Amino acid sequence: MAAIASSFGRTLVETDVSSIPAEPSQDLIYRHRVRHFESARALWSHRDIIYTLAERDFRAQYKQATLGILWALLSPVATLLIMIVVFSHVKSFGTEGLPYALFAFVGILCWSFFSSALGNGGQSLLSNKALMAKTQFPRECFPLETMCVNALNTVLSWVPLAILFVIFGRAPAITTVWVPMYMLIEVVFAAGIAMAIASIIIQMRDLMQVLPIITSLGLFITPVIWPFSRIPSNFHFGGGIYVHHAVVFGKYVPSHWVGGFNINLQMVYGFFNPLGPVIDGARRTMLLGFAPQWNLAGIAALGALVYLTIGYRIFKRLEVNFADIA
Amino acid sequence: MPTLPDGAIQIEHVWKKFRADKTVPKFYDQMKRFGKSIGTGARHDFRWVLKDINLEVDPGGTLALIGINGSGKTTLLKIISQITYQSAGRCDVQGRIGALLSVTSGIHPELTGKENIYLYGAVMGMGRQTIRDRYDEMVEFAGLADAVDRQVKFYSLGMQMRLGFTIAAFLEPDVLLVDEVLAVGDANFQQKCLKRIGEIVKQGTTLLYVSHDLASVEATCETAVWLADSVAVASGPTREVVGLYRAAVEQNAALTTSTEGVVEVLKVEIEAADGGQVRSEADLVVRLSLNSPEPLQANFFLGVSQGTAFPMFIVRFDGNFPAGDFEVTCRMHHVPLSKGRYSLWPAMSGHAGGKGKPLLPWQPVMSFDVMGPDFIRLPEGVMVMSNVYVGSDWEVN
Repeated sequence: MAAIASSFGRTLVETDVSSIPAEPSQDLIYRHRVRHFESARALWSHRDIIYTLAERDFRAQYKQATLGILWALLSPVATLLIMIVVFSHVKSFGTEGLPYALFAFVGILCWSFFSSALGNGGQSLLSNKALMAKTQFPRECFPLETMCVNALNTVLSWVPLAILFVIFGRAPAITTVWVPMYMLIEVVFAAGIAMAIASIIIQMRDLMQVLPIITSLGLFITPVIWPFSRIPSNFHFGGGIYVHHAVVFGKYVPSHWVGGFNINLQMVYGFFNPLGPVIDGARRTMLLGFAPQWNLAGIAALGALVYLTIGYRIFKRLEVNFADIA
Repeated sequence: MPTLPDGAIQIEHVWKKFRADKTVPKFYDQMKRFGKSIGTGARHDFRWVLKDINLEVDPGGTLALIGINGSGKTTLLKIISQITYQSAGRCDVQGRIGALLSVTSGIHPELTGKENIYLYGAVMGMGRQTIRDRYDEMVEFAGLADAVDRQVKFYSLGMQMRLGFTIAAFLEPDVLLVDEVLAVGDANFQQKCLKRIGEIVKQGTTLLYVSHDLASVEATCETAVWLADSVAVASGPTREVVGLYRAAVEQNAALTTSTEGVVEVLKVEIEAADGGQVRSEADLVVRLSLNSPEPLQANFFLGVSQGTAFPMFIVRFDGNFPAGDFEVTCRMHHVPLSKGRYSLWPAMSGHAGGKGKPLLPWQPVMSFDVMGPDFIRLPEGVMVMSNVYVGSDWEVN
């Protein structure tokens, strides 16, 4: 190979310190350019690291616990037992004829993935700062790795759900095959938010304190313990005259609005909070045996992709400083 | 821009600034700063940690970065490995980079040694298959065969270091960056690591080496760059750069007169008996000007050490010393020092007045250079020059 044509290092050169300007000239300033295609390729070639880090976290989580990995199963079972006791007599919020425990457990499974993905993913850069300051590989690996760990934990907690099916003498409907699609939407959504949070927490630790507050609020504005159908699919907006139902010329006319316009609030909600359609979809397909509502699934997927794009861009934007200020 | 061959490093006018806020930025400060930034555009206080650094390494070349703590060595390594980014300038590195900046940072204390080998190996850019293939070899090298299934938190720091270094040693990158990581290992393992680094370099890997152990720097690197106060003050062949660095560091620590003793050191002179440079096996004359408030009967010691308080030899004189200014001259015969830099440590102990105060505490007062023959080549596996020079006659039959 050709050597660099220069005399650097061949002879002793002492630098005249006074000749160095106080600041670099403007044309030297480094601009961090993110090439998305190359970043994606780098991420793909480092996928081993994601698996390995995920394996590390998954293993480390139950190390030195006497029951070891069994806890991954036991803790959701414990949650389930509590729920059965607490909710066995509650008959609020129409559950479309489903046992409330079953209804709520599906919601809680989806929610707990999301909230723990946010918690762990959001802190992933901070908790790996020693590694981050000393090794070089795509930083996205850290939040993505926590997605994997949480996904694995969540898969394990579907086991008690099976127990629940047995208890209530039901079986998952054939349409359960659509559930993975919904889970994928949820993972995309969670990954986007986690990336944004992770990169912002590095600069502004305040977010770490605020995050649990936001997540506990999120539990209530997301249809986890209440049905998605509570959100009107046909909401009137913009004024107009409300005509009461009546019998006109022997014909029944239901109540309706004249003027203004109707919007499908479920669609609006689904875009901003893809978890709504996801949880609803999981319930409909697995418990009720309905086909997915494609318009809702579509809008949720779109929303999730928007979140992912925004989150990823924030992450890449702030990436330059990670190792310096973590 | 011509593309460089794999393993080449080219750095042009690299600058790096760090934030230097005086306090943790609280909300109030942030707001104040924000207000200021509208006018000036400056959001934070900062300081330059690297200023206008230029360096080049050919594929297979070896370069050492030397300098005192905080001079920017590690930051430069981090920029080269793209862990962090420069604020200005261009940094072009080709090929796979293996950065051994800290041996324990990739190691997870809860996992076993085996799990950590897989984890750290992957993080450093080794494929899982490669690790599986070379696993036994690595355990063997680290000498951890019976500890490998134990959790790493029950390892000693030295064992963790061995684990970390081993993984890096098996990386086989195009560019290897090593940052002062061998300090915790025992002498045996350090020797093994340096040897391994030598082997890696022989295979054609470019090496960037940071260490305060100047002897190992001289043994491993052809060229060196000396960083001081964020600036690369000198670059060139290792021996010459290290020489400059030594001279500067020890100038700083030159004459430190202590006020703790009864006796005060005013002036120290060291020269060869014949008036020239101090040489191996030559006679050495030490002249000290001292001041004592009272006449003393005491033991006078002179020691010579290389850096540490542990002397390589001590000479002693028992006698009476007058009050006021006086001069002590000592001639040491056939001083068996090899080429290098040493410090002179005087001390006095005795029974006079001071009441618990030492007459003259054991402390370095001056450093001096000894000229002598160079051992350019050392035996395989020996990295550090011996401090003692013994003249020898040879005969082969």
